[in-house]
Amino acid sequence: MFFQLLFNGIIAGSAYALVAVSFTVIYRVVKFFHFAHGIVYAIGAYFAYTLYAVHGVNFIVSLLLASMLTGLIGITIDRFVYSPLRRRRSPNLVFLLASFGIFIFLQNLLQLIYGVQVLTLRTDPVKEGFHFLGAVITGTQILIVGTSVIVTLGVWLFVKKTKLGKAMRAVADDPWAASVVGICPQRIIVASFFIGSALAGAAGVLVSLETNIDPTMVMNTILKGIIASIIGGIGSIPGAMFGGLFLGSAENLGIWQIPSGWKDCIAFGILILFLLFKPGGISGVRAEKECL
Amino acid sequence: MEYLFHIMVITGIYIILTQSLNLVIGYTGLPSLGHAAFSCVGAYTSALLALYFGLSPWFGIIIGACAAIAIAAVLGAASLRLKGDYLALATLGFGLIVYSVAKNWVLLTEGPMGLPGIHRFSILGFQLSEAWSYLLLVIAFVLLTNLVLKRIVNSPFGRVLQGVREDEVATLAMGKNVNKYKITVFVVGAFFAGIAGGLYAHYITFIDPSSFTVMESITILLMVVFGGMGSLTGSIIGASILVLLPEILRFIGLPSIVAAPLRQMMYGLLLVVLMLKQPMGLLGKYRFR
Repeated sequence: MFFQLLFNGIIAGSAYALVAVSFTVIYRVVKFFHFAHGIVYAIGAYFAYTLYAVHGVNFIVSLLLASMLTGLIGITIDRFVYSPLRRRRSPNLVFLLASFGIFIFLQNLLQLIYGVQVLTLRTDPVKEGFHFLGAVITGTQILIVGTSVIVTLGVWLFVKKTKLGKAMRAVADDPWAASVVGICPQRIIVASFFIGSALAGAAGVLVSLETNIDPTMVMNTILKGIIASIIGGIGSIPGAMFGGLFLGSAENLGIWQIPSGWKDCIAFGILILFLLFKPGGISGVRAEKECL
Repeated sequence: MEYLFHIMVITGIYIILTQSLNLVIGYTGLPSLGHAAFSCVGAYTSALLALYFGLSPWFGIIIGACAAIAIAAVLGAASLRLKGDYLALATLGFGLIVYSVAKNWVLLTEGPMGLPGIHRFSILGFQLSEAWSYLLLVIAFVLLTNLVLKRIVNSPFGRVLQGVREDEVATLAMGKNVNKYKITVFVVGAFFAGIAGGLYAHYITFIDPSSFTVMESITILLMVVFGGMGSLTGSIIGASILVLLPEILRFIGLPSIVAAPLRQMMYGLLLVVLMLKQPMGLLGKYRFR
């Protein structure tokens, strides 16, 4: 039982980690909570659903197209909402509220188009999974865990090693100083929005292979992504991965003792506890200065 | 006519919610995204007391509001030292916890089934079951709220609040206990939210968790921002317009499966446009910091 719950936790946690890592890519350069990221994730899942389940397009092609589309949506949101706000040097709260506005608008647009039905990309009958330490794991679940490890490593290496990644770190540290050495912060922000949103779209597609997605649940998804980033120290990419796994395991081991409806309570309780006692996350001290 | 009164009752309840949130976010600058949670506590407390102990709604809503106060005091004492959007995040998490408790603590709240058959108010044996009679009661509460909040914001206490919003460090340097002011304001806001929740429960006579979602908190916040940060009159206008506006959708005869998302889309779009064009709202005097 313990191992099954632990594995469930790791699987759920990997899904949170995917959201958290893609969120972090954007957060690092813009430094506000981009809530609409959650809806970008859902759009990825819905678009792939239309292609794959309705029109019978190949899965990999649907995944790539969905992730391109969400990347473009990310850029569009930045271009028409955040970029003008940035030019006016609006305070963070204005960004936050605008982001909620976009979230609500797109969420209900999705609901209008697709109805309130729950969506899943799972088409073939559920096969019995592999047995391991008395627990059962399916192939899809291994795929999700594997992808999340690879994505985290990939993004981390990208940010550390490539030229664009280094520019992203420079803008994250100090946009003004970055512009002095010839990096255009605006372009780096656009690039971050594209990469982060494309990753989120792909994550949405993958996760909808395993669980159901419906527009009303997206708020929880993005919040758990944000909680994961805060646990790991906001702005840190390995931290986001770790935070996701921590959150997923805490939720799933928690329901060992209490009914599963209380999962959300555990997650948001963890959020408040971390904000109060360890706002910098498990490792970070830098974020601590920002929020107190 | 019945319909018109009904809309006006709902508007009145939203005015109480909007004005009290304006005290917290507009005057004091504390971004709270959990206002609906306080009215949830007020509504459930009052409704449960009425259902299980037959307590009169008059006492019920006061006790409900006090329960909201107690929770706000705990949350406030713990989280009000957080800055800006981290505070927003903490209150958002709190709102979701309250919603989740209302939904999952089935023994007490009946969960998603909701609580039907909540008693109505009665005055001297005369039951306020018609919308027009309830409207008079709600108007009385709105006037009372307005009076109290006006007194608060125009008092020396209110000036300190605006000081906290404009420059916390300077206010601290003036020898004011900023944290105490913040908690007090948070608690006062929660009190009126609790009252509004009670009024709602005893009017609709049925409550379930879906009336107190985070979406609801954001809607109230939108009303505050639309009417104007730091303007009580603005809050009246903001709440009225945003309650009435979506009713137009009903009149064009859209089915509710289309009208409900359209209404939310309207709110979302309005929030984005406000942030882009007029972040201080219609009558607002202050900008976000």
